[in-house]
Amino acid sequence: MAEKPRIRIPKQAAKNEVVEIKTLIAHLMESGQRKDPSGRIVPRKIINRFACSFNGKPVFECELEPAIAANPYLQFSARVEESGVFSFSWTDDDGSVITAEEKITVV
Amino acid sequence: MILAASMAGGISMQTRAQNARQAPLAIDGPASPVPWVRYAGWPTRDTSKFNSLTRLVSPAPPKAPLKLEKGLTGDPAAGQKLAADRSRGGSCLACHVMGPAGGADLPGNVGPDLSEIGNAGRDEEWLFNYVNDARVYNSDTVMPPWGTHGIFSESEIGDIVAFLKTLKSPAKFKAALDDPMKRPAPIEQRDNLDALINPAMWLIEERAPALWKATGPAGASCASCHSNPVQAFRTWAAAMPRWEPRLNKVLGVEEFVARHAKATTGQSWLMQSEENTALSTYLRYLANGAPMVVDVAGPEAKGAYQRGEALSTRKIGALNFSCADCHGADKSASKWIRGQWLGELRGQLDHFPTWRTSQQSVWDIRKRFQWCQVAIWADDLPPDAPEYGDLELYLAAQNTGQKLSVPGIRH
Repeated sequence: MAEKPRIRIPKQAAKNEVVEIKTLIAHLMESGQRKDPSGRIVPRKIINRFACSFNGKPVFECELEPAIAANPYLQFSARVEESGVFSFSWTDDDGSVITAEEKITVV
Repeated sequence: MILAASMAGGISMQTRAQNARQAPLAIDGPASPVPWVRYAGWPTRDTSKFNSLTRLVSPAPPKAPLKLEKGLTGDPAAGQKLAADRSRGGSCLACHVMGPAGGADLPGNVGPDLSEIGNAGRDEEWLFNYVNDARVYNSDTVMPPWGTHGIFSESEIGDIVAFLKTLKSPAKFKAALDDPMKRPAPIEQRDNLDALINPAMWLIEERAPALWKATGPAGASCASCHSNPVQAFRTWAAAMPRWEPRLNKVLGVEEFVARHAKATTGQSWLMQSEENTALSTYLRYLANGAPMVVDVAGPEAKGAYQRGEALSTRKIGALNFSCADCHGADKSASKWIRGQWLGELRGQLDHFPTWRTSQQSVWDIRKRFQWCQVAIWADDLPPDAPEYGDLELYLAAQNTGQKLSVPGIRH
């Protein structure tokens, strides 16, 4: 997946403000239940885990299952107490991990 | 006339001067792969014995209703199964509510509700002929000629007739949504320009701008001549497609991208390639908000429009549908074919190329044409076929004044 993940998050927040974080990654999320035209099962290949941390501390993480549609979109919120960096990671069945970061400034 | 293929060096001055009137185009050769090969995974049945947009070969209807020499001995249970068999042209249920057939699961309403046809006083011969080839009674019918086109055999039609004769009470729907007369018209409410909702926006934000700057074999990029596309193309795509005298056919955005890029940058971005779709989507996106206005007044454009109109009413394929049969306001538009809503011609072009959630890919209008044809068991054409140009011009004219909103998002 050459596409970079998409993250929507405010650049700035007031101290202790709860901000909304939207993330989306381009991924086929092949369920492992479909057959190709010759009748063979198409092997499962999904994003199986997503994690978000802020300045190294966990904020949100989840496991994703094969029934989740292509291009998984996750939205959650977090209280921001200080300026810092949100780190995001998506773990693929093939072992690769796609990462991204977004800065936020407390004003 | 500008002959384009050899314009590698020093093209920018000349092109700018002539941009408004004659953009360089690679005239020779096709703008799509030759031979055109239908997409993998699309139906492969042989439909060469039926009309297409390029030929008229379908069998003729019977001159008069067929006489049944002896009474039919059909099996109503077999007929009920056939009526709901989706492998036979989508099943009778695609267009008709038919009592218990298929569990009354999402039938369509293109044709009348047949749940009480058994009380209608129609004899076997009339029912047989209507299913065999309804054109013997109604020259305006949109019903496929099941028998004449060999989709159902005589004995299968006999089974269907036997089933029809058993239909004497209104269909029982499991849920209100199953009743096509009560099913609300679908309304697309997603924000098609939000990249978190519409993955086609990724082409606009990343892929197309990168291609715009990519230097081709001729040493130039799109940006060499068009440094500010956002400004330059605010309305351009809303006037496409247009008659192109150098090609002697109607030219749409996608074919323009293929031929213009070839002539200027040397890139080979054939129609429906990933690159072509990205740039065509981008160029139409840049004209978002502009009302569509195509030229159908010039003599050649008028001729193309009239050909397009004629093609839109030509019945093609084994199912014998024309564009107008399904999408004409006076035919089946704004009705249900099974669970799918048939839209009018107006509103069918302003959002193309469009993201198809069911396909996880962006389709341009020519690919949509191709799929329509394959879905009605007709041969598709290469994307650069002149017939598609005529049809696209006719469709664009029906959409005059509609504002572009590209890329769209649809099921």
